[in-house]
Amino acid sequence: MKYIRYEYQTEDKLHYFEFISIGPKGNIKKIVEYTKVSVDDIYNIAFGDYDEKADKLNDTIVTNNGDSIKILATVVSTLYAFTGRYPNSWVFATGSTEVRTRLYRMGITNNLVELKEDFYVYGMKIDESFEEFITGEDYLGFLVTRKNKNINL
Amino acid sequence: MKIDELNKAKIPIVKIDKRLERFRGKVLFPEKLALANKMLGNAKLPKIPAPK
Repeated sequence: MKYIRYEYQTEDKLHYFEFISIGPKGNIKKIVEYTKVSVDDIYNIAFGDYDEKADKLNDTIVTNNGDSIKILATVVSTLYAFTGRYPNSWVFATGSTEVRTRLYRMGITNNLVELKEDFYVYGMKIDESFEEFITGEDYLGFLVTRKNKNINL
Repeated sequence: MKIDELNKAKIPIVKIDKRLERFRGKVLFPEKLALANKMLGNAKLPKIPAPK
């Protein structure tokens, strides 16, 4: 990967990933989740902070732990792991807010050269159609799938 | 898969943590899933380019 990322853990099916963001605000547990949507072969990716005391997740909080690039690189890395296990899947991402969607766009843009070596990357336009991802364009969401489906893990 | 192949494929070596199995079957971000379902309900998947 181009950017440094955090180490992470996952469970057998690779649907949930956990890592710790380390920065001036402290150590913050992050969860990345892949959930099947109602359309065949598409999974929604979501990530956010995990509050152990409340046993709840928050994907709207802005932590400002000074490591957003590292966090996004880590999330992208989980994409490689997940689609390594499920190569025929498509992964959809959208933010819970416009700011969050822009954060996702930044994550894709930062890692686009590498991503495009291994994935088809699309953006969802305002009319809900998809086009090949163009840097700088505003999108409602993002969709990726592996180019090489013949991965055997 | 050999190590050099693994690196080339960019598939990270993942650590399995049994603790995370407690999440299995749960939807941790239900609002996000509902939003994704709504957005993808009428959307058509893009066509993957034919291999060259």
